[in-house]
Amino acid sequence: MPVALLDDFIHVVILAFLGSGALLAGLVMAVFSALLSFWAGRVENRVMIQVGRRAFYATAAMIFIASALLETALVTHDFSLAYVAEHTDLSTPIALVAAGFYGGQEGSLLYWALILGILGSASLLASARLGPRLAAYAAGIMGAIASFFLVVLVMVASPFDVLAVTPPDGLGLNPVLRDGGMLIHPPVVLAGFAAFAIPFSFAAAALLAGRFDASWIAHTRRFALVAWGLQSAGLLLGMWWAYHVLGWGGYWGWDPVENVAFMPWLATTAYLHSSQVQERRGRLRAWNFALVILAFLLVVFGTFIVRSGIVPSVHTFAVSAIGPWFLGFLGLCIVFSIGLLALRSGGLRSGGEAGPAVSREGAFALQNLLLIGVIAVVFWGTMLPLVSGLVGQERVVGVSYYERAAGPLFVAILALMAAGPLIPWRHAGAPFWRSLVWPGATCALVLATLLAGGVRSLPALFGVPLSAAVASTVIYEYIRAIGRWRRAGGGRARALALLARRRRRYGAYLAHLGLAVVVVGLAASHFWQQERDVTMRPGQQATVAGYTLTYRGSDTRELADHSELVAAMTLGGKTLEPARATYAGLGGQSLTHVAISSSPIADVYVVLAGINSDGSASFRIFVNPLVSWIWAGGAIIILGVILGNAGSRRTVAEPVPARVASPVGVS
Amino acid sequence: MIRWAVVTVVVAACVGYLVYSASGGSAEYYLTVSELRSHQPASGDVRVAGVVQNDIQRSDGGLHVRFTEKDGTATVPVDYTGTLPDIFKPGITVVAEGRLGTDGIFHARVVLAKCPSRFSTTSYTS
Repeated sequence: MPVALLDDFIHVVILAFLGSGALLAGLVMAVFSALLSFWAGRVENRVMIQVGRRAFYATAAMIFIASALLETALVTHDFSLAYVAEHTDLSTPIALVAAGFYGGQEGSLLYWALILGILGSASLLASARLGPRLAAYAAGIMGAIASFFLVVLVMVASPFDVLAVTPPDGLGLNPVLRDGGMLIHPPVVLAGFAAFAIPFSFAAAALLAGRFDASWIAHTRRFALVAWGLQSAGLLLGMWWAYHVLGWGGYWGWDPVENVAFMPWLATTAYLHSSQVQERRGRLRAWNFALVILAFLLVVFGTFIVRSGIVPSVHTFAVSAIGPWFLGFLGLCIVFSIGLLALRSGGLRSGGEAGPAVSREGAFALQNLLLIGVIAVVFWGTMLPLVSGLVGQERVVGVSYYERAAGPLFVAILALMAAGPLIPWRHAGAPFWRSLVWPGATCALVLATLLAGGVRSLPALFGVPLSAAVASTVIYEYIRAIGRWRRAGGGRARALALLARRRRRYGAYLAHLGLAVVVVGLAASHFWQQERDVTMRPGQQATVAGYTLTYRGSDTRELADHSELVAAMTLGGKTLEPARATYAGLGGQSLTHVAISSSPIADVYVVLAGINSDGSASFRIFVNPLVSWIWAGGAIIILGVILGNAGSRRTVAEPVPARVASPVGVS
Repeated sequence: MIRWAVVTVVVAACVGYLVYSASGGSAEYYLTVSELRSHQPASGDVRVAGVVQNDIQRSDGGLHVRFTEKDGTATVPVDYTGTLPDIFKPGITVVAEGRLGTDGIFHARVVLAKCPSRFSTTSYTS
């Protein structure tokens, strides 16, 4: 059949050859962009700087083409590609097939490169006003990072490898991943990591160029916030996904894979605060460079840990040839960063004298130290198996280690969050101490209520009242601002205009409020969780923490890609259907479908353990108080990030270099 | 400058103390089955990694389970009550957390499965 042969041929040619070709072209462009940008920046050749920048745009375009081709191959079920055959099959819903793009090793690397290309290009567009040298070096560093990813994609982990024989169907996605969470969690987390390459590139470029002012911070502020927002959303979505899918009643297990995603978030959080000190007061210069570098190194470190599988984890990731490549990249980044900091250490001394300890900048500095402390705790817990394995018997730490070591630090950070926004810059006087009355009183009131209610769990007694104090501080700040503007006159329109102008500040407060809500949810669901194992016959009831569940009976359902054993229960007027799904196409792998009845007070979370021969069914029932607060708080945080950033930034009038005629005729 | 150096040292000392005190009490040994056999019974829990054998006995609607964990040479019977990971079946590697009783049975508090891979079930190419 020549037509079919031709068809196959076209598919292979178009998708595999074009895809590999695009990656190769992208690699050439990225290396060219990096080398040219460094050289042109050094000699300040404006024409060549622009060529280097455009070469980075071309790299991004090539990565985009490769991504579009891979996505096309996935949604058209082109099983001649090994990647498509290994990660999807014909029975997988199409949205999940499309999600296969970032669901596998090779594809997730391509996705990383794609985000770097898009955001990197966006950050370079207006970079000329930073001065030629800084802009060129930033393009060079981004080109170098893109080169690394493209080398791995071209040489070690190509998503365009072709199978010798095209199978009729693919292997399909692991059932645990056949869930809506797969559509949003991985791309958000990966984008959050990739986005942090932009502040890193500009920071390193500023160091290279000897430009220690805050212009690189201002230029990348939005990218840092986007990275932070994506990382926050990614962590929370991961928790949400684990909670809904895995059926152990929890959402966070301090597993190495979770930890390595948490550490960059901590460093990014620290940087968002300390960068303000430099912008406002011109201090903490060296610290900010170090922090951005640390956050990026933690991103690379996390990718290395996840890809190499060198620490024991519940998630054993595709252990593959790219582990050593990432170790090499991490090593290069560390050497480059430390070398750069050492080289420039002489010029990095902050001007002016140290501010008073009780001041906004003091609070930020202390918060930074505490966050670094948490990073140290988490890092040690993550690396202990490796370190102890080198010197003797391998040891691991459990959840209690993190609670005991990081808990007090989190409490101190919460207390700072409650007081910090009320402390003025430069110097705190008497009015500041008076304004602390509100959070203090809220904290005392909630503490007294909890004690009266019989709560004796120390972490809950710290966490909940301090979160209330944080919320009270935010609300106090909003009320104070509105009052001030009303006194100033101008009505609601003017008050809103003022709020919009200070949106960075009030958006940040909203994020604080969201975090306080998250912490209350974490504390309540962690310290007041109840669980019970029950076996019931149809018609029998079980009561857990005041919730009465009635077992109705079981049923078997056949669905497109799996069959389900459903055990129906009623809770009040609601029907809950915990189930066990069996995927015949995947060697009979089974999967729990958790049933959750969610309310603002508590979630009733039912896992079906099995159905016995006598018709009774066994369940594990959890009652998790205030879990929905975690997701609601997450939404508030993201709202704060968006509102704090929406609209155009007032651009500072800075001399923009004259437009340079393009030597290649395209402008 | 000196003031901040003092603050930094104080925070670092606190973190160091917290890490030291927390890991001293809760660091668990991570053992294979043969290491468990030769390991002195410690006061705390240990984690044992091994492959689930073909002798899974479930009772109580699947909430109570007994199975044998094996590595290259040694085996240990494991007793566990609770929900098991979805992919639990003979042939997969699990990590059981608990302690070896005087009856020679490992009483697990937690049984975790090592996912074969996050992304795919098997591979065509390897």
